[in-house]
Amino acid sequence: MTVRHLPSDDIMIAYATGVLTEAQALVIETHLALCPRSRSLVEALEHAGGALLDRLPPAALHTDALARTLARIDAVPGYGNAPMPDPEIAAFPEPLRRYQMTPWRTAGRGTQIRRVLTPEDGDHRVIMFKIDPGRKMPQHTHSGVELTCVISGSYSDESGRYGPGDFEEADSDISHRPVIDSDVPCICVVSLMGKVRLEGVVGRLLQPFVRL
Amino acid sequence: MIVAVASSRDREAFARLFAHFAPRLKAFLMRSGADAVTAEDFAQEAMLIVWHKAAFYNPERAAASSWIFTIARNLRIDALRRNRLAFREPDPSELPDDPILPDAAFDESENARRVNEALSALPEEQRKVLQLSYFHDLAHGEISRRLGLPLGTVKSRLRLAVARLRETLGDMQ
Repeated sequence: MTVRHLPSDDIMIAYATGVLTEAQALVIETHLALCPRSRSLVEALEHAGGALLDRLPPAALHTDALARTLARIDAVPGYGNAPMPDPEIAAFPEPLRRYQMTPWRTAGRGTQIRRVLTPEDGDHRVIMFKIDPGRKMPQHTHSGVELTCVISGSYSDESGRYGPGDFEEADSDISHRPVIDSDVPCICVVSLMGKVRLEGVVGRLLQPFVRL
Repeated sequence: MIVAVASSRDREAFARLFAHFAPRLKAFLMRSGADAVTAEDFAQEAMLIVWHKAAFYNPERAAASSWIFTIARNLRIDALRRNRLAFREPDPSELPDDPILPDAAFDESENARRVNEALSALPEEQRKVLQLSYFHDLAHGEISRRLGLPLGTVKSRLRLAVARLRETLGDMQ
């Protein structure tokens, strides 16, 4: 399985330097779990971060800083283990297993969605889609940036075909209508911000029901 | 050393890590605009995480410095989200010249050495843009405003720097 659609360097730098929101970072991390090539780029960027950290002129600490930290070590028990997720979540790439999710709910024929419960952060949110083979998503545009990573199955839109591990970034310039072209349902994880606008008559009819 | 911290809960090894990294973590956060007290507390908290997570550290995957960098980065994201850090505007006079210290050489790993070399070999203008994006938590637009450069120039310098790092990486695999 070769991942063909990779995130841009811009977004990889934003991830490595920590300026993405948690919702966006989660989609990138899902992609990283499935794509060794992007993983090694991030490793290099993190090496660079480490090397730059190493080169910073040290800032003097309080004389008792170490003692205080050691005291905190004694005071705080280790981090507990996260509760075991349900079996379906357990099969998702690791970054997704850290989160609670709402149950699947139907959003139109052949389409199920669930929220991945990332911490509240403005209007950023993460939604997982499970869409049956042959289904089309309504044509839609975005008022913010939409990041998608495919977990299983595949879809095609105006910009190409996307399979497991593939990453797509769409913004307000892009109006797309993905079609599921795998013979199994396509599961993908999407970070959204702002409003997603459905287009066309069907889309406008659906809009009140499919609050994404 | 992190391995010693993990396997034998070695406080002496931890103290050595602390002596090297905690002052740099404090400097890291002060560059993001935090005051000295907040930055000091942040450095301690990051080192506390290092202690608790040492068992997850894999020396074959990452140098100590890059592992600790990712811990600090994630802690900063977390702190910003919870508004626990009151950041002031960084003082522009702090921006111009981050002296490039002779390689502190805490990490002896081959990958770390190569990335270090690649960083040292970057043209000053690319390294500066890279440093600003790592430590000052600045979006590209902000960097372009601070340096008085067009946005396109900032982006292309960053991309060139990344391309150079990517080449280094090619050799590592």
